[in-house]
Amino acid sequence: MNGAEPLLKIRDLKVSFGMGHHEVQAVAGVSFDIFEGETLGLVGESGCGKSTTGKALMRIVEPTSGTVELDGVDLCAQKGKALRNIRTRMQMIFQDPISSLNPRRRIKDIVAEPLDCWKSVTGSARDTVVSDLLVKVGIDPQVYGNRYARQFSGGQCQRISIARSLAMRPKLLICDEMVSALDVSVQAQILNLLEDLKKEYGLTLLFIAHDLAVVKNVSDRVAVMYLGKICEIGPSNTLYEVPGHPYTKFLLGAALEADPDSPVHGDVLTGEPPSPMNPPSGCRFRTRCPFATQKCADEEPLLSEVAPGHSVACHYPLNVKTPRKRAPRATA
Amino acid sequence: MSEFDPILLTVNDLATTFQTAGGPLPAVGGVSFDLKRNETIGVVGESGSGKTVLTRTIMGLQQRTNVTVTGSVLLDGHEMVGASEGDKRALWGSEVAMIFQDPMTSLNPVMRVGKQIDESLRVRLGMSKADAKARAIELLELVGIPSPAHRYDAYPGQLSGGMRQRVVIAIALACSPKLLLADEPTTGLDVTIQAQILNLLDDLKERLHMSVILVTHDLGVVATRTSRIIVMYAGRIVEIGSTREVFSAHRMPYTRALLESSPKVSNDPHTRLVTIPGRPPNLLKLTQGCSFAPRCSYATDRCHQERPELQPADEPGHAYACWNPLPKTRKRTVKTT
Amino acid sequence: MSNFSQMFVEEELARVEKPEKREPLGLLFWLCVGWIGLNIIGAIFANFLPLIDPLYQNYNALNAGPSLHHLFGTDDLGRDIFSRVVYGSRISLSAGAGAMLIGFGFGAPLGMLAAYRRGRFDSILTNVMYVFLAFPAIIATIAILSFWTPRSLLKIIIVIGVASIPLVYRVIRTATLNVATKDYIIAAKVQGATDRRILLRELLPNIAPIGISFLLIGVATVIALEGSLAFLGLSVLPPTPSWGNMINESRTILQQNPWLAIFPSLAMCLFLLCLNFIGDRLRHHFDVTEVKL
Repeated sequence: MNGAEPLLKIRDLKVSFGMGHHEVQAVAGVSFDIFEGETLGLVGESGCGKSTTGKALMRIVEPTSGTVELDGVDLCAQKGKALRNIRTRMQMIFQDPISSLNPRRRIKDIVAEPLDCWKSVTGSARDTVVSDLLVKVGIDPQVYGNRYARQFSGGQCQRISIARSLAMRPKLLICDEMVSALDVSVQAQILNLLEDLKKEYGLTLLFIAHDLAVVKNVSDRVAVMYLGKICEIGPSNTLYEVPGHPYTKFLLGAALEADPDSPVHGDVLTGEPPSPMNPPSGCRFRTRCPFATQKCADEEPLLSEVAPGHSVACHYPLNVKTPRKRAPRATA
Repeated sequence: MSEFDPILLTVNDLATTFQTAGGPLPAVGGVSFDLKRNETIGVVGESGSGKTVLTRTIMGLQQRTNVTVTGSVLLDGHEMVGASEGDKRALWGSEVAMIFQDPMTSLNPVMRVGKQIDESLRVRLGMSKADAKARAIELLELVGIPSPAHRYDAYPGQLSGGMRQRVVIAIALACSPKLLLADEPTTGLDVTIQAQILNLLDDLKERLHMSVILVTHDLGVVATRTSRIIVMYAGRIVEIGSTREVFSAHRMPYTRALLESSPKVSNDPHTRLVTIPGRPPNLLKLTQGCSFAPRCSYATDRCHQERPELQPADEPGHAYACWNPLPKTRKRTVKTT
Repeated sequence: MSNFSQMFVEEELARVEKPEKREPLGLLFWLCVGWIGLNIIGAIFANFLPLIDPLYQNYNALNAGPSLHHLFGTDDLGRDIFSRVVYGSRISLSAGAGAMLIGFGFGAPLGMLAAYRRGRFDSILTNVMYVFLAFPAIIATIAILSFWTPRSLLKIIIVIGVASIPLVYRVIRTATLNVATKDYIIAAKVQGATDRRILLRELLPNIAPIGISFLLIGVATVIALEGSLAFLGLSVLPPTPSWGNMINESRTILQQNPWLAIFPSLAMCLFLLCLNFIGDRLRHHFDVTEVKL
C-alpha cells in the first residue's frame, strides 16, 4: 500500500469564494497523497473545508491554485474534453441520496448514463453491465430496473448512486458524507456494501465525513481538517489512540462512545470556530487551544512527521509514542 | 400530587393515531412509563419509531382534528391529554418546555433573540419590560453566550448553530420548567459544539432541578448523559431500563441489533458492521404480532402472531417486550463481531 | 455480494410500492381536452364545415334570435353568429398559439441556458430581462399597436409574443434554477456528460411540466388579451370576425340583441376555463412528490 507512487498527489490546494473583502478561503493550502487501494478518511467539523476539498478534486468547484495529480496528470490544468475524459477515473457519491438521482428517470437508465455518455459499451452488453451493477448493490434489475428513482428510499437511492458511479470502473471514489443522511441500520448496510465493492473493484476511497466512528470503521488513514487546513494525518488506529494535534484530541474526546462506562469526555473544547473570513494568524487553532503560545501566533506550523506515516501540524505535538504492537485482528 | 412525590411524569397507555388518506396510522401505540424528578431519560429509535411524536404528544402539541390521542399524561398532577388549549398554555413554559432539533426554524428569524426570550417572561410571569430584559440577559449568560448584553440585540441569523441552540434553551428555561423535552437537540451540530450543549444541559438540569426527556438516534449521547433509556420501535416501547442495564444486559434483539450496527470509535478499520436486514415497518400495515418479527433473527411463530407486552426483567425498572429474549447472562459490554 | 445479503435487500425492496399508480386525470380533464380539440378542429377546418358564410349579410334576419337555421342567431347586419364564432376562433387561437410560440421559442431556451450556465451570461441577460419586465406590458402593447397600422393578426402575435419573452424567461429560469442545483446534475457533469446532454436529458424533463402548464395558461392569457385589444379596436377589424371584436360590436346593440354579446363571450370563457383547468391538472399530475425517507 505505502511506498509506491501515490495515486493522487495533492499539493497546496486552495479554494476561495467571493472577492475582495468578502473573500473566504474555504481550503487554504492543503497537501496530501492518496495511495492506491487505501481508504483515506477526511474528517472535520462544519466549515473546515473537507467537502470543498472533495469537490475541488473533482473540479466541481474550481480550485484557486494548487495541483492535483492523478497518475501524473495534473487535473487542474485540464480543460474541455480532456477534463471530461479524466473525470471518468474519479467519481463521487453525494450526501443527499434523493437529490443524487433524477426523479423522472428509471434507475436502469440512470446507472447506464455514464456508459451512454461515452458510448463505450452499447446494446446488449450495456444492459448486461447495468444488470450486473444493480445486482452487486443488492437491487434486482428484473423487478426494479424499470422503476423510477423517486420510488426508492434513501438507502436504496444511495445504492443506485454507487452502482452508477462504478459503471465506468473509476479508480478513485470520493464519498462526500454519503451516510450522514441515513438511519443507523441503513448506514451499516451501506458501509458494508462499500467495503465489499471496494475489494471487488479494487477501489481507492476518499471518505469525507464528520462522524468519527464511521470514519474509523472505514479508513486506513485519516486526515483531520480545521478551518481550511490539515492539522493531522496518520494511520487510523494511531491517530485515534494517540492523537498528535490538540484539536484531534478534543474532537475524539467529544465523540461520545456508545458505552456507558467510557470516560465521558476529556476537556470540552470551548468557544466557537473563528470566521473563515478572518482566520487567526499563525496556527489557526490557537484561539481555542489551551497549549497555545506566542510562537503559535507568529509562526504557522507545517505538517511534519512525528512518526512514520503520521504527520502533525503543531509546534507542540502531544506525546506521540510509537503505537503499541497490536495482535493482528481478523477483519471481515 | 405533592412536591415531595418523586414521580414527576406518569405516562399511561398513551397512543397517538393519525387519520391519513391510507387509513389510521398509529404513530405511538400504548406507551407507558414514569419519570422521576431530576432524572434524565433517553428515548432512542430510528426514524419512524415514534419518538418525536411521543414527545410532542406529551407536550400536548398533537391535538388536532385528524389526530386521536388516548391514554393519560399526568405531569405533576396535571392531565395533558384532552386538556384545553388554555390549560395547556398555562403549563407550557412554567411546568414543561420543549426544544427542537433545528434551531434555525425554532427561532423567529426576523425578531431579535432578546425579544424572543422576553416574550415568555412577560406573558407568563407578567414581568415588566425592564425586568424581562434583565432576566433575559441573565439567561443568556446562564446558557453560556459570551457578551450577553450585546447578543440580546442579535438576530438569529447572526449567530452560529451552537449559539442559536443555546438561545433556544434559554427561551425554554426562562420560566424554570420542571420538565424539559429535548428532541434531537444536538443533531446537526458539530461534535465539539454538541459536547458543549450537552454539558450545558447537564449543568442546567442540576441547577434548576429539572427532569429531561432526551430524544435522539445517537446512542453515544444516551450512553453518557442519561440514567434510563427507552428504546422505541414502530411506535411502541420495546425495552426500558437503566442505561447500564440496557447497554450491557439488554434482552430485546432489536436493542442489540441497534447497538451492534452503530460503528464505534474503538473498532478497527474495515470492521464489518452487524446489520439489521430490511426496513422499519409501514405503520399503516402493522401486523398483529411483534412489529420487529419480520426482521428478527430470533423470531418464532408466536412472535409473528401475538404482540408481546412489556415484561419485567431481573433488575427493577428494566422491562422488555419480547417472547424470545436474549439470554440473561452476557458480557459486560457489547463488542462487534 | 453474497446471496444472503441480496435476499435481505430484496425483502426490503419488496416494500417499494408496486409500479406507481398515478392518479387518473379525471373525466372533467378529458372533457376539457375534448372541448379544446373541438375548437381547434373548428378553427382549422372551418372552410370545410357546413357553415353559413360569415360575411354574408342576410337582410331578412337582422338581430334574429337563435333558431334552427341560425344556431346562435344573427347580428345587426344579418350575419350568422354561430359561423362567425367558429371563424372567429381562428383569430383567438392563432393569437394564443403564435404569441406563445414566440415567447417560449425565445424565452425558454434563454432561461434554461442562463440558469444552467450562471455567471456573467446569466447576470447580464437577467438584468436586461428584468428591465423589460418593469415596463407595464399592457400599456406598451396598446401603445405600439395603436401606432403600428394597419391592424393585423400578425402584428398582434408579434407584439404580444415579444412582450411575453421576459416573463417566460423568468419563469423558466426559476424552474431551471431549482433543478440545476440538485446533485444529480453535478453527478451528470462528473460522469462526463456534455452540457447539451444534460440540458436535454436531465433538465428538460424536469422543467417540462411547469413549462407546459405555464404555456397553457399563457395561451389563455393571450386570448383574453386579444379580446381586450379587439375591444379597444386594436385587433383585426370587422368584417373579419374575432371573439373580441364581436363583443365590441355588441356593445351598442346590447338591448336589442344580447346574443351577439353572449355567444362569443361564452365561447371565450369556456375555452379559457378549459385551458386553465387542463394546465392545472397537468401540473398536478406531473408533480413528482419525492419519496419519503
